[in-house]
Order: sequence, then C-alpha cells, then structure tokens
Amino acid sequence: MAYVATRGGESAIVQSERLYRAGLGAIDADRVAEVGSALPWLVDRVMGEASLYEPESAALALAQTGGDLYETVLLLRAWRTTQPRLAIAEPVLQENLFTHRRISAAFKDIPGGQILGPTLDYSHRILATSVLEGNPFMPEPVAPADEPAPARQPSLAAWQKAQGLVADPPREEVAPKDIPDLTREALLFPAPRAHVLQSLARADTGGVLTLGYSAMRGYGNAHPTVNELRLAEAEVCVRHPRGTVFSAGRVKVSQAEVAAKEAEGIRLGFAATLGWNEIKVISAATLDLNAPGAAKGSPVEEEFVLYHTEPVEASGFCIHFKLPHYVTFQSSLDAIRNAKTKDAVPAKPTPTAAKTKTRELEKEPAE
Amino acid sequence: MTALSELTRPWAAMSYGFLDASAKREMRRKMLKAIAVPGCQMVYASREVPMARGWGTGGLQVTLTLVNPASVVKVIDQGADDSVNAVSIRKFLARVSGARETWDTLEATILQSRHRIPEELMREDQILVLQVPNPEPLRPVEPNMSVAREMHADADYGRLWLILYEQMVRSGRIMQGAAYPSLVNGRHVITPSPIPRWDVPKLHMAHHLTFLSAGREKRIFAVPPFTSVEPLVFSDVPYKVEEHGDLTCHRSGVKGYFMNEIPQDDGSSAFELSDSNLGIKAIQARDGEPVKIGETWYNSGAMQ
Repeated sequence: MAYVATRGGESAIVQSERLYRAGLGAIDADRVAEVGSALPWLVDRVMGEASLYEPESAALALAQTGGDLYETVLLLRAWRTTQPRLAIAEPVLQENLFTHRRISAAFKDIPGGQILGPTLDYSHRILATSVLEGNPFMPEPVAPADEPAPARQPSLAAWQKAQGLVADPPREEVAPKDIPDLTREALLFPAPRAHVLQSLARADTGGVLTLGYSAMRGYGNAHPTVNELRLAEAEVCVRHPRGTVFSAGRVKVSQAEVAAKEAEGIRLGFAATLGWNEIKVISAATLDLNAPGAAKGSPVEEEFVLYHTEPVEASGFCIHFKLPHYVTFQSSLDAIRNAKTKDAVPAKPTPTAAKTKTRELEKEPAE
Repeated sequence: MTALSELTRPWAAMSYGFLDASAKREMRRKMLKAIAVPGCQMVYASREVPMARGWGTGGLQVTLTLVNPASVVKVIDQGADDSVNAVSIRKFLARVSGARETWDTLEATILQSRHRIPEELMREDQILVLQVPNPEPLRPVEPNMSVAREMHADADYGRLWLILYEQMVRSGRIMQGAAYPSLVNGRHVITPSPIPRWDVPKLHMAHHLTFLSAGREKRIFAVPPFTSVEPLVFSDVPYKVEEHGDLTCHRSGVKGYFMNEIPQDDGSSAFELSDSNLGIKAIQARDGEPVKIGETWYNSGAMQ
C-alpha cells in the first residue's frame, strides 16, 4: 500500500480541524450568551446574511467558528435550509413597524419627525484605551425625551406619493404561498422583484458596500439621497390553522429608501434586511436604484450585483482555490510544452530542432 | 381531537441523506430533465449543504439524492480517494446515509469525482457524479449567464470555435487544457468539468450515466448512457489528449494512463498514476495479492 503511506490525508484533516478548535477551547452556553449580549450588531449582520432570524443560533455560530463571518453564515444557512416551514407570515407594512430610528436626508423635518434612536453617527471615534488600564467604560445614562416619540411612523414615501412626486405603482396581489422564494428556486434574469429584494436582503454586507460605493462614486448613473432610513421591530403575524392571526414575536429589521431626482419625479431604490445593518441597506438600496437600464456586465447591473454579492457562494468559491488543482495544471502543462516545441522550430532551424519537430509529427497520429 | 404527535414522526436532527424531502424531489425532477435533454443545463435551487460552495456541493446534492443504504460510494479528487476533500465528502455521505464506502471503482455504485474519470471502465449499473466549478462552456466568450443561456438556445457556438481557432493561430495548437468544450448528442455544448482531455473520450457512448452538477452556479446537466460526446475540433486538426501514453508510474510500474508529474530534486520529473486506487491495485497484483483489476478505457496508452 505504498500510495497510502505517503498520503495520510484522512488523519491530516482530522488533526487540522482539532488544531483550529483547540484554539477556540470549550464552547458552552455562557460563551454563546456572552457573544450574543456583547456583539448584538454583529449578530444582526450575521442574521441578515444568513436570512435566519434567531439571535441565539447566530451567537452560537459565531462562537463555534471563532468569528469567521463567512463560516458563520454558511453554518446558519446550512442549518436553515433543513428546517421545516411552518407558516408564511403576513406582509410587514411600514406604518405598523415599531420604529426605533427613522431619519430622512431629503427634508429638514418630516411628518412624524426625525427620530435619531441609537447611533454612533455623531460620536467621536476615540479608542477607550483606559479600559485596558483597568478603568471600565461605563456608558452614560440616557435621558428620556420630554415627549416619547410615537412608536409607529408613517412612511415618507406615502407623503411623496400624495404630492405626486413618487409614482405609486399598482399593488400586485399575490397569495403568500405564491411569492417567489429564492431559497427554493434558482435566480434567473431578468429576476422577479421578490428575488431581487430577497437577494439583497441576504447579500454580503461588504459585497453590497463595495458595489454600492462604486455606484455612489460614479460607476452608476443615479446619486442616492437617503429618503428614509429606518431601524425597527416588526411583528411576525401568522395565521393559526383555525383562522386567527396572531403575533409570534418581533424581529429587528432595517430598511432604506434612496431617491434619485429625475425630471419625471423622484425614483426610489429600496432594500430591507433582518437585523439592524444600516450600511447594508443604504448600499443595497443604492444598487436597486441604479440597476434599471444598467448595461450588461456593469458593476450595478442586476445580474452582476446579485451573483457577486452572495456571501456563501462568493466565499466558498474563493476558498476552493486552496483545493488541489494538479490535474488541470498537468493538462495545461502538456499543451504548453507541446506549443513550445512547435515554437522552437522556426526560431532555431538547427538539425536538432528539426528532428524534434519530425518526432512530434510522427507521434501525433498515434495519440 | 388528533394529537400533534400522531401526525408527525419523532423529531430527528436531520432527514435521511441530509437533504429534506422537498429538496430531493426538486433534485430528482431536475435530474430527469437533465437526462431527457442531454447536455442542456437545468437550473435548480441548490440548497446550502454543510460544506463550502465550490467544494463539491453540486455533486454532493446529486449523490445525496441518489444514495440509499445499499449504495457503495467512491469519492475521488484529482483521481485520489484519500485526497483531503474527497475523504471529507465520503465520510459525510456515509454518515448521513449509512452507505458503504469504497476506494475500488469496480465496487462503487455511485462515484463522485472532482476532475477525473477513473481509468477502469464503468458499467451500466454505475453512476458517475462530476463536480463542476463552472457549468458554462461559453463563460470565456460571454460571462453574462442570461446571454449565454440564449446562445445555447440558438446553438450559437461560433465564438467558441473562434477562440479555439485563435489559439491555433497564436500558439500553433489548441491550448485548451482541461474542461475541453464538447458537443453532446449533436446539440448542446458542455464543459465536461475540468477533467483532462484524456478523460473526455470516456464519456462518448459510455455505458454509465454521468451527472455534472454545479452547486454554486445552480446548474445540472447530464450525459446519459450511449450518448455521443464530441470534443470541438476542426476536421483537419485531430483532438489531442495529453501525451501520457508512454509515461510509466514510478511506484507501480504501470504504463499508459494519465499521470501526475512529481518534480524531483535533480531537476527531472517522476510520474505516478493519477488514478490512485488503480495504482494501489497494480502494486498489490505485483506483490501477488488477490486483487481484481477491471478492463480500462485505454490500453497501452491508446483509447480502445
């Protein structure tokens, strides 16, 4: 068994995985709880890309991979895809969202008001080094507003539609079970609207930022204005088999509408995702805004954007280049050597080279 | 009133063969469609599996759909059964299906492979599942998948012929290494996956069924048994497989098969059989152990 002795792949992969896991140590419920409470924004990002709203599972996946985000998302996606579907929730409407933060860059003030909510936008980004010197960073208490902001806010687009600034396309009535589902069918182009929004919702945050930023810098044709950005909680309302609609709980959602100012009025790009992730929804909405009419192969065209921002596919293909490719390499090597032999003939018309050429010609029919 | 427990089976961590019934049903339908239109790329949802995209997830979904407890599975990567990823896939298959594992091509009922077709002839009762990184032979001339799809519908392969011609003009020969574009059943051009040119003739009028499945790109196509697979060549320029027919395996002494080249310290090269289990069996036979070596597609370095 000479071959086996020199390879030993089976034990090598077992040990390499052990080496990785040894570095992470024991993973227990306390660690998962700590990840969940210390890193809620990371948990949100992961839940969005995994398209699975389950903070505890997301924290577990982060703990299990030591924070490798692409591994984390893959773990959750592979888990999600095996789970049964119990019900399809009722549509979530903007005006029913329990809104924590809702801002517009398009107007100084808007109906319902600018609600800042939780944000680091205006913070000074100074590393709290004193923590490392033993002085814990204690957040200042929040002073409640004199008047609490209303929990539910109208959408700015509703006001714009009433003003005739934004076109109000007729609503397509689709039975919930007939909504195209990206996780149950392949993405083809031109893609149904549902597939576009689902793809953007579970897209890689870094990926949509990269392409969205390219559009913002000028590789797209529409400059985005943040019409409305919202961080909210949505009630997940499902219908009981007996007919009663009830709330099964709330999920954090983010959504962005970005506007392009055109002669015919305001055109909107939209994106929403599970969890609170502002960079992602602004970038994704910018891509949505720029996609119509974009040239094939441009960085903002629908097919280009949606295929290349899929985190599981993109990361998987990237790391697959670590796999052995020596058969394909050998196959090309054969062609390269053979072509070089041919090249040598006109360059060096020596008897040796001519002989090589003859030998090669003789060999060819035998192959 | 009926209790919920009477309507359901007891909870289990995963379905038999990992994929749930709805995923398998879709796979079966798409596999049948792929057989019905040889070489035509069929789209499928392609579920996430517990393995990274690009690491054989397409092949895995086909194998998981085909596998049953009586199956015997062989998994190879670059021709080797003990290559790390092949081991990982084979262990996963055995774990979720209870199927028996083998390294022997003759024993296997399902053979999942990355980049090689074994040297021993495959039979009618065997299925080959090739992992496909890029299912689109037109990618070098048309990266946009929806445009490429229209080109297949129109059998518009002119630009593919053109790049082969350009290679001949520039380099004196067709430079395509592995994944040689081939016409299936006289209608659809496929990439046979990055198998060497050596392996492409094994698909032509083969006795076995071949599925080619790309999980990341969500496309599956098939070469049914006894179907023509013709590499794209010009009538006056014959198809050339790698010049491995005269090479000898330095471990087993066997000659006339596709080889791995192993660079040596003295600047020379040694060669070993790429089909690693054929190499093991050849060594066992040489040492007088009882071992069955099947007939091979190539004999004395030439396709039969």
